[in-house]
Amino acid sequence: MILLWILLILFFGGLLAWLSEWFDSRLPRWIALLSVAATLIPLVLLYLGYDADSESKWIVEFSRSWIPSLGIKFTFAVDGLSLLLVGLTSFLGLISIGAAWEEMRERVGFFYFNLLWTLVGVVGVFTAIDLFLFFFFWEVMLIPMYFIIAIWGHENKRYAATKFFLYTQFTGMLLLVSLLCLVYFFKIQHGYLSFAYEDLLRTEVGGALEIWLMLGFFIAFATKLPSVPFHSWLPDAHSQAPTAGSVLLAGVLLKTGAYGLIRFTLPFFPEASAQFAPVALTLAVISILYCAKVALAQSDIKRLIAYTSVSHMGFVLLGIYAWNLIGLQGAVMTMLAHGLSAAALFSLAGGLQGRLHTRDMRLMGGFWALAPRMAIVALFFSVAALGMPGLGNFVGEFLSLLGVFSVSIWAAALAALGMIVASVYSLWVMQAVFQGAQHSGADHSLLPDLDNRELFIYALMMIGLVVMGLFPNAFLDLSSGVLERLSSASDAFAAVGERR
Amino acid sequence: MEKEFATVPITPAVDLDSLLLLLPHELMGLAIIVGMLAVAIGRNHFVSTVISTTSMLAAGIAGTMQFYELTMGAAPSMVTALFVLDALSALFIALLAFSAMGVAIMSFAYFHKLEDARDEFQLLLSLATLGAITLVSSAHFITVVIGLEMLSMALYGMIAYPIHSGAWAAKSLESAIKYLVLSAVASATMLFGMALIYAATGSLGFLDISVSTGSLFYLGLLMLFVGAAFKLSLAPFHLWTPDVYQGGPLPAVAFLATLGKVAVAVFAIRLFSQPQIVQLPVVTSVIAFVAVASILVGNLLALRQTNLKRLLAYSSIAHMGYLLVAVLSVSAATAFSEVEDSAFALESALFYLLVYSLLSLGAFGCALLVSSSEDEAAGVGDYRGLFWRSPWLASVLLVMVLGLAGIPLTAGFIAKFQVFFAAVGDSQWGLLAAMVLGSAIGLFYYLRIVYQMLMPVLDTEESFALREIGIESLGVLGVLAVLTAVVLWAGVYPEPLFALIAFAASNF
Amino acid sequence: MFESLGWLPTFPLLGFLTLFLSGGGLPKKLVAVIGAGSIGLAFCAAVVVSLPIINGDAQVIIHDVYTWMAVGSFDVAFGLYLDGLSVVMILVITGVGFLIHLYSTGFMIDDPSYSRFFAIMNLFVAAMLVLVLADNLLLLYLGWEGVGLCSYLLIGFWYQDPANGYAARKAFVTTRVGDTSMAIGLFLIFSQLGSLDIQESMDLAQGEWAIGSGYAVAAALLLLGGAVGKSAQLPLQTWLPDAMAGPTPISALIHAATMVTAGVYLIARTHALFELAPNVQLLVALIGLATLLIAGFTAMTQHDIKRILAYSTISQIGYMFLGLGVGAWSASVFHLMTHAFFKALLFLAAGTVILSLHHEHDIFKMGGKWSQLPLAFASFLIGSLALAAFPFTSGYFSKDEILLAALEFEHYGFWLWLGGVTGAFFTGIYSFRLVFVVFFGESVDHHEAREVTGFSMAAPLLVLMVLAIAGGLIHVPTDSVFSAAGEHGEHTVSALIHAIMIAVPLFGIGISYLFYGSRTLSVSRLMASDLAQWLHRFWFTGWGFDGLYRRLFITPYLWLAAINRNDFVDGAAGLLVALSEAGNTLLVRSQSGSLRWYILSVVFGTVLLLTLGGVL
Repeated sequence: MILLWILLILFFGGLLAWLSEWFDSRLPRWIALLSVAATLIPLVLLYLGYDADSESKWIVEFSRSWIPSLGIKFTFAVDGLSLLLVGLTSFLGLISIGAAWEEMRERVGFFYFNLLWTLVGVVGVFTAIDLFLFFFFWEVMLIPMYFIIAIWGHENKRYAATKFFLYTQFTGMLLLVSLLCLVYFFKIQHGYLSFAYEDLLRTEVGGALEIWLMLGFFIAFATKLPSVPFHSWLPDAHSQAPTAGSVLLAGVLLKTGAYGLIRFTLPFFPEASAQFAPVALTLAVISILYCAKVALAQSDIKRLIAYTSVSHMGFVLLGIYAWNLIGLQGAVMTMLAHGLSAAALFSLAGGLQGRLHTRDMRLMGGFWALAPRMAIVALFFSVAALGMPGLGNFVGEFLSLLGVFSVSIWAAALAALGMIVASVYSLWVMQAVFQGAQHSGADHSLLPDLDNRELFIYALMMIGLVVMGLFPNAFLDLSSGVLERLSSASDAFAAVGERR
Repeated sequence: MEKEFATVPITPAVDLDSLLLLLPHELMGLAIIVGMLAVAIGRNHFVSTVISTTSMLAAGIAGTMQFYELTMGAAPSMVTALFVLDALSALFIALLAFSAMGVAIMSFAYFHKLEDARDEFQLLLSLATLGAITLVSSAHFITVVIGLEMLSMALYGMIAYPIHSGAWAAKSLESAIKYLVLSAVASATMLFGMALIYAATGSLGFLDISVSTGSLFYLGLLMLFVGAAFKLSLAPFHLWTPDVYQGGPLPAVAFLATLGKVAVAVFAIRLFSQPQIVQLPVVTSVIAFVAVASILVGNLLALRQTNLKRLLAYSSIAHMGYLLVAVLSVSAATAFSEVEDSAFALESALFYLLVYSLLSLGAFGCALLVSSSEDEAAGVGDYRGLFWRSPWLASVLLVMVLGLAGIPLTAGFIAKFQVFFAAVGDSQWGLLAAMVLGSAIGLFYYLRIVYQMLMPVLDTEESFALREIGIESLGVLGVLAVLTAVVLWAGVYPEPLFALIAFAASNF
Repeated sequence: MFESLGWLPTFPLLGFLTLFLSGGGLPKKLVAVIGAGSIGLAFCAAVVVSLPIINGDAQVIIHDVYTWMAVGSFDVAFGLYLDGLSVVMILVITGVGFLIHLYSTGFMIDDPSYSRFFAIMNLFVAAMLVLVLADNLLLLYLGWEGVGLCSYLLIGFWYQDPANGYAARKAFVTTRVGDTSMAIGLFLIFSQLGSLDIQESMDLAQGEWAIGSGYAVAAALLLLGGAVGKSAQLPLQTWLPDAMAGPTPISALIHAATMVTAGVYLIARTHALFELAPNVQLLVALIGLATLLIAGFTAMTQHDIKRILAYSTISQIGYMFLGLGVGAWSASVFHLMTHAFFKALLFLAAGTVILSLHHEHDIFKMGGKWSQLPLAFASFLIGSLALAAFPFTSGYFSKDEILLAALEFEHYGFWLWLGGVTGAFFTGIYSFRLVFVVFFGESVDHHEAREVTGFSMAAPLLVLMVLAIAGGLIHVPTDSVFSAAGEHGEHTVSALIHAIMIAVPLFGIGISYLFYGSRTLSVSRLMASDLAQWLHRFWFTGWGFDGLYRRLFITPYLWLAAINRNDFVDGAAGLLVALSEAGNTLLVRSQSGSLRWYILSVVFGTVLLLTLGGVL
């Protein structure tokens, strides 16, 4: 039940925020803020309820009958992994509200409604363990996000929003087909319909078909992650979305893809995934290097950051398909850390756009003198992004690489080159925007530095990254239990690993 | 399932209970007569609307009662050899009658401002409804012909209904003529098909048709299918659809798009989902071809269409294609004698049919609400900013469009989900691929409508969405409210609806 | 109160945090006190913790702060480890570091970003201390990256000039290349030995890996990659000269005394591993030799006072690598220390010169400055003597040990030695070329130069002068560290060798006197021939490495990035859209609206279906 609170709070908070606009246009943001903050209470309770060495798989589970004729249950559950991600969601929800606080001027109520409902969708994805319910949220989550991009986006929002929706929906249908096949197999093997996670785990598919089903899952999740070659929706969506939208996209929505891979794809199809791992690792390496390269060539700062996101998610994919505890922990850590750093970078870019009304870095430069606070914050997060030890991203990427190294030395070695190219583009952004001489063309005398509200938001995220970097076990311990169970559950990887 | 009909005594003469069983049909007939008398006495749009709507309501209730009795264990019964009144027909009689009532209410609002004969439309409406419910309760090819013709004849009149002036008048006439000629061709094909089947089997009743392997029989079946495919505007018999939709008055089109298709579809399902027929490779291969063609053609045609009515026409082509996928799954499942699956596939087909009719009725209702007989909100662009002008109406349209696109929270998703499930269960990979591709393309143009509604209002353009909604439209609002409620409710908690459908599917 | 190792990095870190959080709001006096004071405290702490080891009461001091990361079998502590080797390092870092901070308080006084400067400086010292105190390779890597970051920030300290930004990025990325190889080395070591703890993994390596075994070679090579990056050795040496774009105290602290010697420290720290891979160790020696020669040649051709010193730094580190390569661990560490003294002295003196001459860098625009800049002159004289290994200066002892060790190295010993001696010859030339050109001859420029001095800038110079002269008498307490490594004891070589090694630098000094002091030999005549011209250009550009790398890596990468600016994958994704639109245009044709055609289509469709049905 406690789990349901989170969803309900956000759900009704959204409605309330929308309605409250009729009374006062300043009300919605406060309602949104409060309701997201309120979700922290159940989260803390869950955190306290977590017991590392308890036998039960879930911290809490909530199950009701829903559509019995199709064996569909209304089942939520949370374990360490989902708890971490839900926590990230709430945190970034607060951040995005903070980012939208002043930026959002028109149709405020409806905006916060969509924002909160996106969170509902994401939390649902992270906590639903009935596969139908999961898919339900997986699809629903897109609609408010589509609205956010389509209504409050920038010059090319229509194209971006449609592209985002089409990519994710199309691959979503592949997911649906594979899922239904899986359920059907379960029915054949056990004689009744069920979408329950536990049941489907017991399904043996095997053979060529397993590869196909796995691909259905993989493509859907890899599109959300995203990984080359399914990534091209992301730069458009990011560059067109309003700041809060980018924050949620980069910080949370991308993580649902990785979550899906960890929670469903590999456990459901161990054999196929093990055989597929080399391909996945290759894709990951390509994502890391290729997108870092493309990023360097961008002049639109949001596009650039978007491509770097893809590059960083490559490390997640890498860690996941290493499929050992270290790699998985690395993936999780990268998800959390990238959630913060990317969110921060996007809101910085948004801040710049809000001040200068352009995202073109060719019109920027020398802002350090004008906005030192902003410069230092930007420096911090670029440095975090290029994997500076002591900050969260490093822990994640290092563990992923370490995990992969034991599986494929070459994948690890090539992916490690990502650390070099990452430094290239990160420092290039700093140079282009904050260092060097001030751009003659545009008048930047009007560039105000971060105000205290913004500074507070960034400070939160900076502290978060430092904590992740210096005390990673505060987070890793939460996910260790479930990841250990998952990675040890299927020895297929070990077997195929031998064969490789 | 069908065997039990052998036990049902075919009563030679019409007696009282059989009259009772035909209550819905009689009510509609009554409505027509009373309506004509009323017109003769004095024209009053409101009165004639009340007459038609009440009778439709009554018919609907009657149908519901019959369905209820059947669920209570009453045996499905034949009235002579012509009519069958089982759960299937009862369910769809009710559905059709209620939807017809919705259309009637809409047309009242639509024709409200027309300074011309308005009452006849209600008469035609009742007639068409009578045809439709006859069709769904038909057990005999004769009944089929009668029902089909009543339906089509009325529709000619409705489509040609003189609403427009000048160039537009020509439009509605043109589309009516097109529909007339083409469906005449289709009906002819159908009749020929019936004749062939009769020649092959020696029976005009088609409930427990005895399959003869002669090529005559196959030819007949195929020609029947061609006729049905035309009425359902399946590729390659779809060309008429957009023109007719575009030209006709909105209520007529709404009727054609929903009741017209549902009635024919029910008849087709009744005929083709019989195990002995559905397993014929001839039938399955042809249906598969038509299904794939319809899905792809329909969606591709709609891709860049900006006229809402044409767009809905194209999307209806695709949706009928999806429906066929479900029907096919019945066949495949039966072929592998997986009774459970075939039943499930049948349910999914019926459910899809039901949901589709609700959704398109709702969509047309929204279009109708911002239009009137003078000027119709034809272009998608006319809906620009609707979401900010009248959020509630826009939300309804949003629900309907997303439903047609098969997005969760709407019944559309559940329906599509079921069809997918049925197809997967019978490993119809090719059809699945077509569906996935089709729905992806479909999203594109549905999103265009959504996006238009979300766009900020341009105060300069004089847009339909600006019109304030008059008192005459209150009924329409009610209808839309009901539809939306049902669509959302079935989208979140479809279980009860499943139960109804399951019963209907198991009981004919 | 300073017993705990934890204090050492803490003081500078606190200094950094205060300065960082104050956001430049503090008065300069206070900034100076915090900035320099924190390092001063760190120095006291360093002395206190080092005493037991120097006195031999203890061999190692270990201090585990907390568990940093623990994932399954991967368990890394945030642990500090102090032994003779790290004692040398921390004393150099905090001691020389303190002097340079003190100097900077005067040097940077007019800079608007005074506070930012000291903040980063403190952060650097903290990171450097973590680097040398780390008891496991991951923590070492933390410090390793930290110093790299600070170096980047300080090279680009004057960010307004894009050139500085470029130099900073070049430094960071080039060293990052090395760091990456080092990271891979870490992966290898962990995956093979199951531990990143330095002592433990070294023991395991000696236990599990045979001498010259593949893993040992690979691991050693990968770590070497990291070392050459940080220590600006071949092939990654190109960044250091450009790094001179930073304020001069930075060059003194980071790019002369401490950070660039981190590579030497790393190899010395993991010497057990290198002893398992003799070929790699030989490679270290060869790299050192090649680097010291190349840098020596280049240093002779430079005009910029700081670039000359930079190349001399590269070449001196080359000596250290040579020493490591021949297994003279202590000697290298010894040279590391003395080099820190006299090179810091030289840089600070150069800072004084530059500041006094209104930011003039070109030595040929100076001249005859000894009277105007007595202190700088004295410092340069002493520093250069030490640098050129003038007998009984600090540089002499350390370089001597390395060369002798090289000579005793089996097989190639003589050649290594010969190369080293040649290098010493060049050292003599270029170091005194600098002295003669700057301080003797007639003054070229006419603007009045007043020596900028004052306690804060003078005191460090004086202290460093003493150290540069007498530093050679200090005994580095590393015997216990390298005892396992079979240290070379007393060197027994002929007097001839000694004579040569004393004479060669003097000879070099003499040559440069003839050219630049007395002008009896003329450079211009030497430069007459085309070959000489070409050689000069070649050497001046640092043997063309920059151009080579630009052609090999930078240009192709940028080109690749540029041509695919719009991400062709995106275009590929658009294919589906294009297809469906094509299908749309095709099908729309069929909607002609003409009834005849419609009927035809119905008939055609019927026939089609019937034939289809017939076929099947």
